Amino acid sequence: MRTTLAVLVVLAVASGAAAGPLDAPGADKAVVCSACHGPGGQSPSNVMPILAGMPSWYLKKAVQDYAAGRRPSPEMEPYAKQVLQLGVDEIAAYFSGQTRQPAAVRPDAAAVERGRAAAAQCVVCHAASGKGDPGKGIPDITGQPQGYLQSQMLLFKADRRSPGDESLKALKAFFRQIADEQIVDLAAYYSSLR
Amino acid sequence: MTRVTRREFLATSGTGLGLLATGCAPALKGDFAPKTGRRVVVIGGGWGGATAAKYVRLADPSVEVVLLEPGRRFVSCPFSNLVLSGVRTIDSLTFGYGGLRKHGVRVLHETATAIEPDARRVRVGEGYLQYDRLIVSPGVEFQTEQVEGLAEAGDQVLHAWKAGPQTVMLAERLRAMPEGGVFVLTVPPVAYRCPPGPYERVCQVAWYLKNAKPRAKLIVLDANQNVVSKTALFRAAWQAYPNLEYRASNKVVKVDPGVRQVTTEFGDTVKYDVVNLIPPQRAGTIAVQADLVSADKRWCEVNHVTYESVKHPNVHVIGDSTIGLPVPKSGNIANAMGKISALAVVRLLNGKEPQALAPGNTCYSWVNDKEAIAVVNAYKIDGGKVVQIEQKLTPGQSAQWGQHALGWAASIWNDMLG
Repeated sequence: MRTTLAVLVVLAVASGAAAGPLDAPGADKAVVCSACHGPGGQSPSNVMPILAGMPSWYLKKAVQDYAAGRRPSPEMEPYAKQVLQLGVDEIAAYFSGQTRQPAAVRPDAAAVERGRAAAAQCVVCHAASGKGDPGKGIPDITGQPQGYLQSQMLLFKADRRSPGDESLKALKAFFRQIADEQIVDLAAYYSSLR
Repeated sequence: MTRVTRREFLATSGTGLGLLATGCAPALKGDFAPKTGRRVVVIGGGWGGATAAKYVRLADPSVEVVLLEPGRRFVSCPFSNLVLSGVRTIDSLTFGYGGLRKHGVRVLHETATAIEPDARRVRVGEGYLQYDRLIVSPGVEFQTEQVEGLAEAGDQVLHAWKAGPQTVMLAERLRAMPEGGVFVLTVPPVAYRCPPGPYERVCQVAWYLKNAKPRAKLIVLDANQNVVSKTALFRAAWQAYPNLEYRASNKVVKVDPGVRQVTTEFGDTVKYDVVNLIPPQRAGTIAVQADLVSADKRWCEVNHVTYESVKHPNVHVIGDSTIGLPVPKSGNIANAMGKISALAVVRLLNGKEPQALAPGNTCYSWVNDKEAIAVVNAYKIDGGKVVQIEQKLTPGQSAQWGQHALGWAASIWNDMLG
């Protein structure tokens, strides 16, 4: 038995069958994202969203919105076009299959508690879990870096994310009513959720 | 990644100490690390080479990877202009190679002295290393002979174009400059490492002078006809700096540190208190010696999909030393080339067709202590060649892009070395 195993290991090495983390389908195409979003989509910064474990429908929508200029971003518009060229389905499927690790920057505990109280306003759409409702196009907002969540809420508030999108009118009206400080707390809370 | 203290950095990066450390190492002779399985050797542990070494291991852990890099610490060129303005410390841009070792990369702090493509060997000291495939990421070397007096000037005239001791020295000279002094910064003709880099440096020096020495002046002598990159954005940012005088089409051909003066190709002379002369550049020396450069003797032509040299099989060249792709010589591009070449090399070693993957480029420039601008380029492979899909610039400068720059740096340093 021991000999058989040893032979198998040798054969595996000789034929180059030893699978690395980049052996998954789509992993090679997804390296175009890793400089900013981290290897495997595990963003180590507070600014870039974590793509690991992101549902493929949402990542695909984000890429299409960026490429079409509906979600204005001088950084993401060119990259989104490159991803569409490479094949967004394969790349989105790859990232959704990766296990998400907690965000590298841990939010302040007091801000998380204040955010938990303030989040009562968000559960109507994003559910108590923060996991959203894919059927209604409402994304999972848990576990993302605080800085990223905060910047997106501020972009909604200023109508700079998806400007003119009718389906986001109520969301933006909601953000206009709350203070920037509370947005910081909400971002801390949702970043802390798993 | 491991941050290092200033003391550690100075102890390992000073030229004299570096030579001493090498002198103490046991001499390498013959085939000093015999190959047991398939092996990739990487020459150069910068943005391209470090990334390539890591990604070969990620793509196929059964492939042995040896990285040859004489420096014991990696110092990031991106963000190093902020050391001149005092916004960042050099320590905050300095990292060890411990992360690569965790991925199973064998990091040897040695200099590759020659490449023998026919024997598939890299010479190191009196010994050699065998490879199945070689990835060369040699960066740039300065053409000091293009500027009269530069070779003899030594440390009296700084380039600070490879982040490290010269960056710190230039920052110290800027601090020590007289209140009403003149700082002269010269920009080489294209192609050179980091097209927007000199203009970001202009911003950082001008920002420092405006705040610390308002009577001082910054004169920029640019060999090019105009600002090479992010032109309108830099021109707009410079409106904030009345102490800045920019002169296009002023190629510097001579420097005389004795009388503190540079001379342009038209014979005009400019006096300085502190000079930063960024010399013309070519591919790193090993690429020239190994006959990887084209007829121009400056840069290396490569296959756009595999980065294999058009001159020598099984030798791949990445980063600033390449030419012919419509991409800037940037750290982000070198990082992308590192990944793509690593994936191609692993596929070739496993008898598979390489994937047609194109690089991308994200490039931020700091225009003061908090605000940045950016250019982003997307590419595709068309007919076996890298072709640009689109280029986008930020609509202006802002602290938001500054925050994005910080996030980009944290991510990409980790992608290379973490």
